[in-house]
Parts: sequence; C-alpha cells; structure tokens
Amino acid sequence: MATAVGFFTDTSICIGCKACEVACHQWNALPARDGGQVPLSGLSYDNTVSLSDVDWRHVRFVEQFSEDRSQGRWLMMSDVCKHCVNAPCLEVCPTGSIVRTEFDTVYIQEPVCNGCRDCITACPFGVIHVSARKHVAQKCTFCYDRLQNNMTPACAQACPTKSIKFGPIEQLRMEARDRVQHLHSLGAKDAYLYGEDDKILGGLNAFYLLMDPPATYGLPTAEQAKLPSRKVWPSSFRSIAASLVIAAGAFLTFGRRKKAVAEAESAS
Amino acid sequence: MTTLDPYVADAEWHSYIIWYFFLGGIAAGSYAMFALANLFGDEEDRRGLRAAEYLALPLISICGLLLIIDLNRPERFWHMLIQSRTFWPMFKWWSPMSVGSWGLSLFGGFAAWSFLGVLVEDGRISLGRWNELIIRIRKGHIGRALAIGGSLAAFFVGSYTGVLLAATNQPTWSETPWLGSLFLASAASTGIASILLVSVHALKDVPHAVLDRLERLDRWAIGLELLLLGTYFGSLGSPTLEAVSHWPGVLVPAFVVPFGLIAPVFIQRLRWKGRVSLASAMVLLGGFALRYAIVGMPEPFLHGSR
Repeated sequence: MATAVGFFTDTSICIGCKACEVACHQWNALPARDGGQVPLSGLSYDNTVSLSDVDWRHVRFVEQFSEDRSQGRWLMMSDVCKHCVNAPCLEVCPTGSIVRTEFDTVYIQEPVCNGCRDCITACPFGVIHVSARKHVAQKCTFCYDRLQNNMTPACAQACPTKSIKFGPIEQLRMEARDRVQHLHSLGAKDAYLYGEDDKILGGLNAFYLLMDPPATYGLPTAEQAKLPSRKVWPSSFRSIAASLVIAAGAFLTFGRRKKAVAEAESAS
Repeated sequence: MTTLDPYVADAEWHSYIIWYFFLGGIAAGSYAMFALANLFGDEEDRRGLRAAEYLALPLISICGLLLIIDLNRPERFWHMLIQSRTFWPMFKWWSPMSVGSWGLSLFGGFAAWSFLGVLVEDGRISLGRWNELIIRIRKGHIGRALAIGGSLAAFFVGSYTGVLLAATNQPTWSETPWLGSLFLASAASTGIASILLVSVHALKDVPHAVLDRLERLDRWAIGLELLLLGTYFGSLGSPTLEAVSHWPGVLVPAFVVPFGLIAPVFIQRLRWKGRVSLASAMVLLGGFALRYAIVGMPEPFLHGSR
C-alpha cells in the first residue's frame, strides 16, 4: 500500500482567493453550475454557496462584524470531502462503488455507482451530490489520477498561501500540532485542530485548523457526525421485538381458536 | 428551528420511495399475516387470508420497478446484487440497502410461489398433473416450512425500510432506533386492511368469522403502531414539536393518529355493512400519510440550515 496521504487546511492563512476551486474545476473538467448562470448569493463573496456535484472545493466566507462594523474579522475556509477514516458513505454504499484507495482516500467509482443516493443520506458533511450530467454520485476524488502519478492534488498545488497542505497524513498531523502551538504562542488562543485526531469518524484525512467553533464553518461536531451502522443493530432488535408482538397477536387470534375448535371436535 | 444535524444534504428520496415504502409494507404485512395464519390457524384461516397471496407478488413487483426507476442510473440496478466487475454476489451485511436488496429478492420468491399456488388452488390456472402436487405441498409440512420462511422474509421487508432510514445521518431519521419497528407495525395494519378490502370486494367467499378475526388482529396491530408512534416521537426529544408542526410532519398528529389509527378502531365496532371497507380504507390512507410524513420530516431541518 502506498503512503496514506491527506490535506491539512490551515484556515488562519486562507485569503479566499478561490484558486483551489478554479484548479479543481480545471483539472477535473467540472463545468460551471447551471451553465454559469449563477445568481449572486448575497453571502459575502461566496457565490459557490456549498459543495455540489460540480463544486468539489468550496471556499466558505464568514463575516463576523459588530453592528456598526467598527470591529470585525473574516473567516475563510476551503471546504472539501473529508476522506474520513471510517467513511459513512463507504459504509452504506450498496454497490461497492465507493472504495478506499491505496492512498487511504475515499473514491467513487463512477462506472459502478447506480445513483441510489444512500451515500448522500449518510455523509454528515453534505459533501456528496448526484451529477446532473452523469447521474452518479460525485465528490472530490483527491485527484486520484494525480496521486497515481506522484503529483500533488490540483487544489493544494494551486493554493498560493499554502493554506491547503498536502502530504503524508502523519507528517501533516505533526505539522498541524506545531502550527497550533505557534499560533497559541502568538496569542491566537482560539486556534484548534478539527478532525486531526480520531474523535470524528476515526479521523479525517482532510482536517482543518479552525479559529471558531465548527458550526461557524458549517461543520458538524463529533457528536453529530456518526457512523450510520450505529443504528443497525438497535433498530433491528426493536424490529424483531415488534415482529414477536405481531406474531403473538396472530397466535392469540388464530391459534387459540384452532385449539378450541379441535377440543370441541374431540369432545363431540 | 432546533438544530439536529443541519450539515447533511437532501437525498431527494421522494415520491417513488414513499410509494415503495407504502406498497412494500402492504405486501410484507399482508403476506406475514397469511403466513402466520397458515402456521397458527386452521384451513378456514389459511383459505380466508388467501387475498394476501394475490396481493404480495404484484405489489412487490411494482415495488421493484419503483426502486429501479428511482435510481439515477436504472440500467445499473443489478449492481445492488452482483459486483459489476467480478460478477460475484454483492452483499454488505452492515448496509441496510444491500441487505434489503437481497431480502426483497428472497421475499419475491416466496410471494411468487404463493401467487402460483393460490391461482392453482382457486382453479384460475391449470398446470395439469402438477396441480395436485402443488396443492398437496401447500397444505403439508413443506407448506408450513415455507410459511415460516415467508413470514420471516415478510417481517424483514416490512421493517428494514425503517432501519434503512435510521442508518443515515439525516435529522429525525437517525435520532432514534424506533423507525424499523414502527414501519413494521404499520405494515401489519395496512396489510390486514388490504386483505379485508380484497376479501370483501373481490373474493367475496371469505367467512364472516375470518373477517372478524382479522379485524381483531388489525386492532392489535393498530395498538402496537400507536404505542410505537408515541415511543418514536418521545425518543426524538425536543425536536418533536418542530417536526410535527411543519409540513409534512404535521400529518402525523393531524391525520395519521386521529383518522388513520383511532377512528378505524371505532368504525370497526359499528353495526354497519360498509364499516369494514371504510375502516380499512382509512387505515390505508393513514399508512400512506405516515410514510409521507416520516420520509419528508428531515426537510424543514435541512432547508432551515441553509
């Protein structure tokens, strides 16, 4: 197996240039949404609005200003598929279309996907969408074709501030911890790592340095992002119990009478 | 808006899936009742519930079509069962949709056998010298063994759809483990209602005593459904109020409970010729409304977050 790789996105140095979005569109030949006829969203400088079937990178803009706008700050974050260690989409996929690659990334095999959309219900990050062109589930491939040729994914390659860092996941984690310590030493005590450890779905291979709570960036907490299979056995046991109650009702309805009829016949 | 999990995307499981849940529930519920009557009851019960044998195969066939049409790539429906590259079976026991695909196929086999059998036994088709053998198998030990297998498959089909919804990260579906059992109870009540309707309006030779027993069993299933409905919303916690105050969740308190569950129980007790039909039709409408409400319930939470 090749080395496990990942993205470490340091939001403290993201400048919202959207080079990652453009590079992703170019390399993966993703068309513009709605043929380019996208209305202004009114959400700051963000007209991409969310990840979609043709937007596998999304730079989120968060404006935090006081009412008189005398004080404030911008938060920017380049969002992407998290390539979870325990990926809910991969877990539920009934066709085996979603697989884990030799680079420990999560990849959708387009020729296998039949568009059942179970992965969409499972992804706690809202990453996966069905393509209006191909009619299959779509998301970031982690530039699997580039990885196979020892190339850096297009978004990380294009990022001018190195907010998106690419590399072996263990190395990235060490770099990220050092970076947080450095920011803390500079007085930025709010900085913390999201998805770097195994608390969220066993760890995220695309993890973040954030400056505000996850909800500010549209990210779920560890309590909200869970594996779908957690509910399979509890739900199944309750269903079995309900089956037994229904069967008991049928026994009381049909079985008791049958016994009574048999007893009456033997008595006569 | 109470925040449950506002970050997931809408899977857009809409009309085809709602109809599948509803018709699949009827097929499974009615067949389970027939199989249980075959196991526990006598010949009068087995023949009296044969409407289920007429219903199960056509309904589950329609369900299969609905599921295929709902896929974005319908021509690849077989990828659910067979790996497209190796042609080995595709089975993931931890994925309800994967297990469900196999369960549906298995249930389809039982339903097909029953459909063929009832056509032969009622003299609607003739398979020559095979007729007698088929009828003998249906009434003998093999028939009972098939009833056990068929009831298990039917219970699975009636409940796995709820487990499927729970095994997601969608708000209101994945918060509690009670949807599978709730859907099963609803499958039982709608299945019995369908048997009653077909028996009264199409078969017409089912003894009144059997219909009375079925109505009693229907009340049992409705009671269980009411209990599980309360448990489901109770376990949902604080978002319950918002879930049932938005469309389509509002259908549960406004229609499903009063008109789809409680009213039919009282109508069944009236001394009126059309009571069976009216009560059964209301149970069926309630069953459809329940699925419509549950499937659409996450939407207000998703849209509210965007």
